[in-house]
Amino acid sequence: MSGLIRIISYALQDIGRNAGLSAMTVFMLVLMLLSLNVVWTVNQLAGESIALVKKEVRLSVFLAPDIADRSIDELENYLRSFPEVISVSRLNRDQALAEFKARYAGRGEVLSALNELTENPFGPIFMVAARDPADYQRLISALALPEYDRFIEGTSFEAHAGALERLGVIIRRVTEGGIILLGLFSLIAFLIIFNTVRVAISTQRAEISIKRLVGAGSWFIRGPYLVAAVLFAVVSVALTITLVLITLRYVDPYLRGVFTNGFSLTNYYRSHILVIIGGQLLAVLVLTVLSSGLAMRRQLRV
Amino acid sequence: MIDITGIKKTYPASGLILDDIHLHIDPGEFVSIVGQSGAGKTTLVRLLIAEEKPSAGRIAIGGWDISNLAPSEVPYLRRQIGVIFQDFKLLPKKTVFENVAFALEVAGERRLRIRAVVPQVLGIVGLQDKRNHYPAELSGGEQQRVVIARSLVHRPKVIIADEPTGNLDTINAAEVIEIFKKINEFGTTILLVTHNRDVVNQLRRRVITIERGRLISDEKHGKYVL
Repeated sequence: MSGLIRIISYALQDIGRNAGLSAMTVFMLVLMLLSLNVVWTVNQLAGESIALVKKEVRLSVFLAPDIADRSIDELENYLRSFPEVISVSRLNRDQALAEFKARYAGRGEVLSALNELTENPFGPIFMVAARDPADYQRLISALALPEYDRFIEGTSFEAHAGALERLGVIIRRVTEGGIILLGLFSLIAFLIIFNTVRVAISTQRAEISIKRLVGAGSWFIRGPYLVAAVLFAVVSVALTITLVLITLRYVDPYLRGVFTNGFSLTNYYRSHILVIIGGQLLAVLVLTVLSSGLAMRRQLRV
Repeated sequence: MIDITGIKKTYPASGLILDDIHLHIDPGEFVSIVGQSGAGKTTLVRLLIAEEKPSAGRIAIGGWDISNLAPSEVPYLRRQIGVIFQDFKLLPKKTVFENVAFALEVAGERRLRIRAVVPQVLGIVGLQDKRNHYPAELSGGEQQRVVIARSLVHRPKVIIADEPTGNLDTINAAEVIEIFKKINEFGTTILLVTHNRDVVNQLRRRVITIERGRLISDEKHGKYVL
């Protein structure tokens, strides 16, 4: 136990002697961890955004103006029979006309063309909500039966599918960019740690040779560098988590206006804090210990 | 104490440095090893402290064959042999006490034992009053005495000194040799590698002469003759 305390003490001495280099090492590790947190946050926000958009997506089924009420009911029951369908709401002909006028309220030429018509050209509309956007295509196929052919004038979903796909692509690109940045910072952090240990060993060559002369074991010589690597990891994770939590306090109010379902990044972080800290600590420890180990292997003949 | 049998050492660039050295040193002996520069004296020292491995032959210290020592065993050998070099090798930012204590710390000794042993060995070398001084505040002779004290903390059976008086004036050199003689009286085997003709001749102890890697003479009460 006293040996471990001595090794920790030597590690702290080494860190103090190379304070500038140690600070730079921690700085790079924090940058790396921040980029990791950004990637992770973007991922979470992307997931929430897509879920939110998915909830807003609806399949519109446009019915013929002359469809009988009995046929409308039959069609509605048919749609409700599918387990993928969450809800089916109905707009009658007048409501369909009003909805059209509201959508094109600013388009005078469209509304004046509509006014030329003597009667309401719109039939009833079904607004179908499914569990997943992928289900809509199945529903559209299910509606393409010969007996419903003359009742259904058209369906509208393709625009939403396109929007979802574009959103998915944008999020994927942003995530890929974040991962590249993360990889870059990881590489820089690895090289800086490698150099820090190399410089420490180089400046302590005399001390190391004396340690070997008086019978210090391999652990006594290597230990301080490994302990320093662990300390760098712990400090950088602590700093990063603190910075992230502070930043989220300012970011969350802006997000509340977008995510009306009450999603909060701060609450999400807090509820997963052990996983977040543990995962990041593990990642940084692997990086720092590997880098230190490689530097020692090249510089120390112990 | 030390058995060297048929030792050879070859370096790829330099060739044969030590050639068929046979040597036996009894416990408690005081042996001087002399020779010109490049004779192979320091190489022999490096073999004895397992800094290098012999190309052929066998070395045993206290019955322990160290010819092919595993790296993990080298620290244990070094704790049983006190080693003193010409260039002192002290830690400049540690006091005299801390420099000597360092040798016990690396062996995992407890603070209590360190506090007991270090003053004792400082007493042997006459530096009790300088325990809180830094190496830069000491003379060359005093610095070498700190190194000797450090080498004594593990109560080694053998002390190997490679040119310990090389950087010292006559008076300091004489003081250091007196300390070695005192340590030898306690039963520690001393191997003194030196160029210093006066030291060797005044000691009137066993003298081994190495020339061009070969042991050319071994006299019980020898003189420095080259």
